[in-house]
Amino acid sequence: MEDVAIVALAQTPCYRRYTDSEPSLLMGLVNQVLAETGLERREIDFTIAGSCDYLSGMPFAFISNVDAFGAWPPVYESHVEMDGAWALFEGFVRMQLGDIDTCLVAGSGKSSPGRPREIFPLQADPYYHAPLGLDPVSMAGIQAQCLLNTGKASERDFAEVVSRSRRDGQSNPNAQVTADVSPDELLKEPYYASPLRRHDLPPISDGAAVVLLARGPVARALTKSPVWIRGIDHRMESHHPGLRDLTALPGLVTAAKKLGIQSAPIDVAELCVRYSPEEIILCSALGLGRDVRINPSGGPLCGHPVMASGLVRVVEAAQRIARGEARRAIAHAASGAALQQNLLCVLEGGA
Amino acid sequence: MTTLAPRSYTLEYPYTRTVGPVVGRFLTGLRDGRLFGIRCRGRVICPPIEFDPESGETLAHDFVPVGPGGVVESYSWIAEPTRKHPFQEPFAFALIRLDGADTALAHAVKAPGPEAMSVGMRVRAQYRDERRSAITDVYFVPEAGARDSFVPATGQGEVKISDHLISLVYEEPLNAARERYARGLLAGVFVGQTSPKSGKVFVPSSGYDPLERVLMTESDDVELPNTGTVVGYTVITPVQYYGQKETEPYIRASVLLDGADTPLGQQDIRDIPVAEFRVGMRVRAQFRPPAARNVDELTNRWAGTGSCIERWVPTGEPDVPSDQLKGGMF
Amino acid sequence: MERCAVVGIGQSKYSKRSEDLSIDGLVRVAALRALEDAELTFSDIDAIVIGKAPDALEGVIMPELSLADALGAVGKPIHRVHTAGSVGASTAISACTLVESGMYQRVLTVCYEKQSDGNATWALGGGRSGSQGAGGSFAPWIREYISRSRAPEHIGWQVAVKDRRNALKNPYAHLHLPDISIEKVKESPMLWDPLHFLESCPSSDGAAAMVLTHAEGAKRAPRRPAWVIAHAKRTETIQFPGRDTVKPAAGVECAKALYKKAGITDPRRQIDCAELYVPFSWYEPMWLEGHLLCGEGEGWKLTDSGATELGGDFPVNMSGGVLSSNPIGASGMIRCLEAASQVRGTAGDYQVEGARVALGHAYGGGANYFAMWIVSSEPAPAF
Repeated sequence: MEDVAIVALAQTPCYRRYTDSEPSLLMGLVNQVLAETGLERREIDFTIAGSCDYLSGMPFAFISNVDAFGAWPPVYESHVEMDGAWALFEGFVRMQLGDIDTCLVAGSGKSSPGRPREIFPLQADPYYHAPLGLDPVSMAGIQAQCLLNTGKASERDFAEVVSRSRRDGQSNPNAQVTADVSPDELLKEPYYASPLRRHDLPPISDGAAVVLLARGPVARALTKSPVWIRGIDHRMESHHPGLRDLTALPGLVTAAKKLGIQSAPIDVAELCVRYSPEEIILCSALGLGRDVRINPSGGPLCGHPVMASGLVRVVEAAQRIARGEARRAIAHAASGAALQQNLLCVLEGGA
Repeated sequence: MTTLAPRSYTLEYPYTRTVGPVVGRFLTGLRDGRLFGIRCRGRVICPPIEFDPESGETLAHDFVPVGPGGVVESYSWIAEPTRKHPFQEPFAFALIRLDGADTALAHAVKAPGPEAMSVGMRVRAQYRDERRSAITDVYFVPEAGARDSFVPATGQGEVKISDHLISLVYEEPLNAARERYARGLLAGVFVGQTSPKSGKVFVPSSGYDPLERVLMTESDDVELPNTGTVVGYTVITPVQYYGQKETEPYIRASVLLDGADTPLGQQDIRDIPVAEFRVGMRVRAQFRPPAARNVDELTNRWAGTGSCIERWVPTGEPDVPSDQLKGGMF
Repeated sequence: MERCAVVGIGQSKYSKRSEDLSIDGLVRVAALRALEDAELTFSDIDAIVIGKAPDALEGVIMPELSLADALGAVGKPIHRVHTAGSVGASTAISACTLVESGMYQRVLTVCYEKQSDGNATWALGGGRSGSQGAGGSFAPWIREYISRSRAPEHIGWQVAVKDRRNALKNPYAHLHLPDISIEKVKESPMLWDPLHFLESCPSSDGAAAMVLTHAEGAKRAPRRPAWVIAHAKRTETIQFPGRDTVKPAAGVECAKALYKKAGITDPRRQIDCAELYVPFSWYEPMWLEGHLLCGEGEGWKLTDSGATELGGDFPVNMSGGVLSSNPIGASGMIRCLEAASQVRGTAGDYQVEGARVALGHAYGGGANYFAMWIVSSEPAPAF
């Protein structure tokens, strides 16, 4: 396998409403990682981005995002209609061919113009689910109830996830919603989509993230603290809630095994916890114990720029390694309702 | 100066979905007051799908009647329904395993309140009087409160199509550069921006220079004259589709304003005959009277000129030779 | 780097409306045929890559989620590519990369569009009134090409007739117009001057799929593989001062990178046939020039000479092309798999005799996205 490292990264704050365009949001980040590494645009061999037309309500919206990457003279570029974490996956795979040295990966989304709960039922089966307006929040409620049914978690556990995450978010300059509030206080709030309360949900955010990948020797030349991607895998669960156990993620378990995440200690796990019960389901599937620091950034509960949120997990985990606060970390991204699709990335420090 | 109102727009289309024989059978059942699952290696899957979820093999069309009663396996009480939900008052989404089925169906339960809901409770299908060959033709209620709801429908044959009107509302303020461009139009002036790096003049500007990746500010704004050259055009024969208001052919042109480096696209030409219209033609924008100018149509994605321009008038100057226009095309 | 080969090809019948199929059913027709061709089942597949044009065409967001079960993707990696009209070829290339990386051995790739569920002109116009459609966007550039190259007006009509005649030999093609003629094309309504109705692509439902595998897998394949010799993609900013929209630099650079990777120095002679993305008739000569298959101003002469006909010395769109079938998101993949079909010798009535090296191509957006691949009957063809 080719050694591939993250050599530069950048993210915007999570904004409730960013009033300029999505290309503008991205452009600053692209310029930042280029400046940091001293690379010229023409020295980037491959560019790949993730975004979603329906967020901005405009078919082909992704085309103008190319403006931010600099595509003149022409560039080798591609796009996935998925979270930027899947762009990272394809970028990493592309680098394995061994013929390119650098890759720019981006994820961006502005949720503020639309109404996510009305837009995202369109992710669901177009015949049986979408016409019901079956949205991710409602599905998260159903999934949370399934978790309660197993007796493996309680509403207090959900509140504890929220309390810890929002408190951790206080030290994250990019967080949007933070608080110092106890589980007891949280449990006094009314239900929103039972057994979830409003605080069990992520905020609506605008934001973007960018990472720059480089191959072994080039990576070492570009930065003193490369963060190596030791593996990346993603897996799908069944789309039909009746055909799966909503509290288990066998696909993710397969990915974790394949990546050998338990073969060495994990210092930090940045998980795409969009709804607080998801943390419990993810930790169980990944076998993460109390010794693993979960979402020191506060996670998506403190800021959830859809289409970038997964890539932000990678950025957060990599940052901790680059700063020497962690040696080995995992980052997780999710797509679809009820954790239908999950991506896992193992990161390590060291020259 | 007050800012212009946020732009609100609706992305709306009535999709017509061919449903295939399996979803079609389920929807036909809803029309006829019956619920079906499909047999798959000894299990009954409801709602029915076309294939074995384990192996991917296509399933034989072996349908099994299920319901109308069932058990709630999980649910979420929806305190604040969205416009897209089946009920506008609080209700529950639930996973319901219908009697005779081995898998659960996700659907809506109408109940008096959250206290009426519990895991393991029994519910029963209720049919809407007016059914539209869609999953929303049915809903569920606690079995105790169920009534005989089925009113025969008149449809015949198998349901092959299900309609789904998708209508999404978006609202956002204009970007800063777009807002100043819009205000310019209201004042009868084209406002563009000069890139501090390349010197190129963009109108309307997206607020950045894509060639140099430079974000621009108000200090980069520049006013342009209302004269320019036609650099491209299409004679549009309107195709009819949902939401289309155009019926007659018209010209849509790109005009490169004097001093600009990017053309003003999407300019409707309604009163210059097609036979006389050509690339290279010199034209002048004739603005409407101030009170008649309107930029409501302008969004961040669609610049245009709103309804600020009455018409583009030929200036009568000699045409600009086409070789001088290369690259100015839209 | 692992070598990648096409060992399975599947297509649905392209049509105005696939009446009896759901989207699940449609993609499964192509996927199952590709698996059958490769004598594999879903359980043999390591990863799936899907592609299609904007989600708004069917009103289904991120369809890899709702199609996961139908494509046997549960428990597996599946990802979705979207690069406008070029997406079909971009998706094929993405899937190919998965194999070449050595990380996946057998990859299923599927592209589709179910245009009849929605309306592409509506989507192209951003859901607003006054959409100029794809033809309206390309017409000015086509006029500019005609003016630059001094091509006679019958060239467009000729391509329209040639591709529809080829389509008569392709059972999967949407349009079968046995009595097509130059007269009929030029008398058909003018949609976007200079494009007549019959010089434009139809709106189709359809799906296309391929099974890709590494060298070991290709050895075990039941039928002759098509080896992917090279692939390339290029993108340029959609609008900027000085952009050449007739012969975009991204198209030229994409072709250069492709030929270089393949070791091709004289594409016109070293490539035996091409499936080019020609949604409007004039794009045949435009891409012949735009992808360096001939000199500037020579494209229309090549078309005029009959060289691009089936039986000519550089056949183009033997299958009938986009002008005969256009399930948008799949159209680029169809170009790629038709090229593969030619070098596998499985193209039936439209087989180019002895085809050894073939080109598959797609473009998209405002002709600012390009994706191309070259396939061969040999793993390392000498030129």
